[in-house]
Amino acid sequence: MIESTEQALGPTWNLQRCMADLILDAGSAESFGGDPRAFGAGRGLQKADQEALEKFKSQLLVYRDLARTALEDPLPDCFPITHALLEQADLWEGCLDAFLASRTIQSPYYRDVNPSFVAWLANSIWGQERWPFLLELAHFEYIEVEILRWPDEAPAMDLKAAPAGDSQVVFDGATRNLAYHFRVHEATKQDPEPASGETFLLGYRDSEGDFIYSELSAHASAFLARCLEGAAVGKAASGLGLELDDVLDLLIGLREKGALLGFR
Amino acid sequence: MNPFTGVGVGLRRPHLEKVAALDSTPVPFWEIAPENVVGQGGSRHRQVMKILERDPVITHGLSMSIGGFDAWDRDALANLKGFLKETRSPWHSEHLCWTSFGGATTHELLPMPFTRDAVRHTVERAKRVQAELPVPFLFENVSYYACLGAPEMSEKQFLEEVLEGADCGWLLDINNVYVNSRNHGFDPREWLEGMPLDRVQQMHIAGHAWFEAEQLIIDTHGAPVIDPVIELMQWVLPRIGRPVPVLLERDNEIPELDVLLAERASLQKAYDAALAPVLSGNHD
Repeated sequence: MIESTEQALGPTWNLQRCMADLILDAGSAESFGGDPRAFGAGRGLQKADQEALEKFKSQLLVYRDLARTALEDPLPDCFPITHALLEQADLWEGCLDAFLASRTIQSPYYRDVNPSFVAWLANSIWGQERWPFLLELAHFEYIEVEILRWPDEAPAMDLKAAPAGDSQVVFDGATRNLAYHFRVHEATKQDPEPASGETFLLGYRDSEGDFIYSELSAHASAFLARCLEGAAVGKAASGLGLELDDVLDLLIGLREKGALLGFR
Repeated sequence: MNPFTGVGVGLRRPHLEKVAALDSTPVPFWEIAPENVVGQGGSRHRQVMKILERDPVITHGLSMSIGGFDAWDRDALANLKGFLKETRSPWHSEHLCWTSFGGATTHELLPMPFTRDAVRHTVERAKRVQAELPVPFLFENVSYYACLGAPEMSEKQFLEEVLEGADCGWLLDINNVYVNSRNHGFDPREWLEGMPLDRVQQMHIAGHAWFEAEQLIIDTHGAPVIDPVIELMQWVLPRIGRPVPVLLERDNEIPELDVLLAERASLQKAYDAALAPVLSGNHD
């Protein structure tokens, strides 16, 4: 929970607002660079402060570059394929500019830059007229990082290794049941545009803590979704018209891979 | 024996596996950013926690934006307090700067205006932080590349007034002093003279880089520490007069662990040499 922002208007507040606008807003490099005094005057700065903006113009613009550099580590690390796609189109910097200008990076945690980027793509639909798969591609790339870093849970006690019709499935908290309209898992840095096609994936950590995904059928994905909601195995299967033996085999296989902790 | 002396190293992700596997380490302490650890899980997190449980650690924050105006995320503050207790960090440090405005975080250390209004504002915020934290709080002097607004005082006076007003400790970043002295044209030794060195609880040392286009030295933490910065550390340590811990920071172009540990060992020799007269009582 974030408390509401204080509105302590004053000279320090005005200067920081001016600097934040310079760093974050699209087009500020041009408007500030063209006339720093007017930039400051438009933000309520006193004449002496406007003159300081003029004096330190080039050095203040360095901060705009540094804020972008600060994103150059986490974003390409987390979104290598999305980054490759946008770099190929010479749009990566434009994407960063638009992302920063949205001011959606609000968490004090550096790691939250990544989910903020996905949330921004979802809300802004930036680039998705040209690349309708962009949000799903970025989401799948982020999910890998989220699963890898998901907080560990205390080991569940008294779990059964084999499921029965009345069993409830106990998933690892990091496991994600994913559905996409594009074959996002097949995209690569060399070929970053995934083909269209309904895709169902289960992402999870294996026993070594590495990210793994398994491709599922639509029915299996729907079945696991019901299990994740807490439905008993038999009821979840019958509701979808699935054979109990088939889903039991599916669950045993997923448990062996580490996607499930066991059965209760 | 007090582990918080000598030259420690900032714990970074590429080295976690090797550091966690070490049977013994010459590093007296590690420094870590709580923001990069709390609320995490997975195999890398387990490596971090193994190191933190085994070795002494000092915490260093990145994003409290103490010079800013945004209210603190109460959950993040609660997490920080818990982490400080868990790691038994002797203190917690943050930068004398601001990083967020209007709810938007830049993840960049932005310069404070050197004004009386900014002193008053920062002192008030620092006092509130100190009241919340379970350990003493230190401010770190930052590299600044521009004055934000018309300065009413020097950076030196601003820092001194904030430290005195907030009555908090000082994390003296000796590289930042050097970088600022080069970018703004002053003598770093003159700058340090007259500063409240009795408030120094810890030091940072790091590398930097010259950017031709900007005509600036940027505090990149992406290169080995240069000799003039080491000499400045050696100059100030006897004047502090205590074996305060020095932390080697490396955040970019991170070398292999053995290379970083070799740099640490070299700095440790310089540290020991500088403090030898003080510790033997032969310092003037």
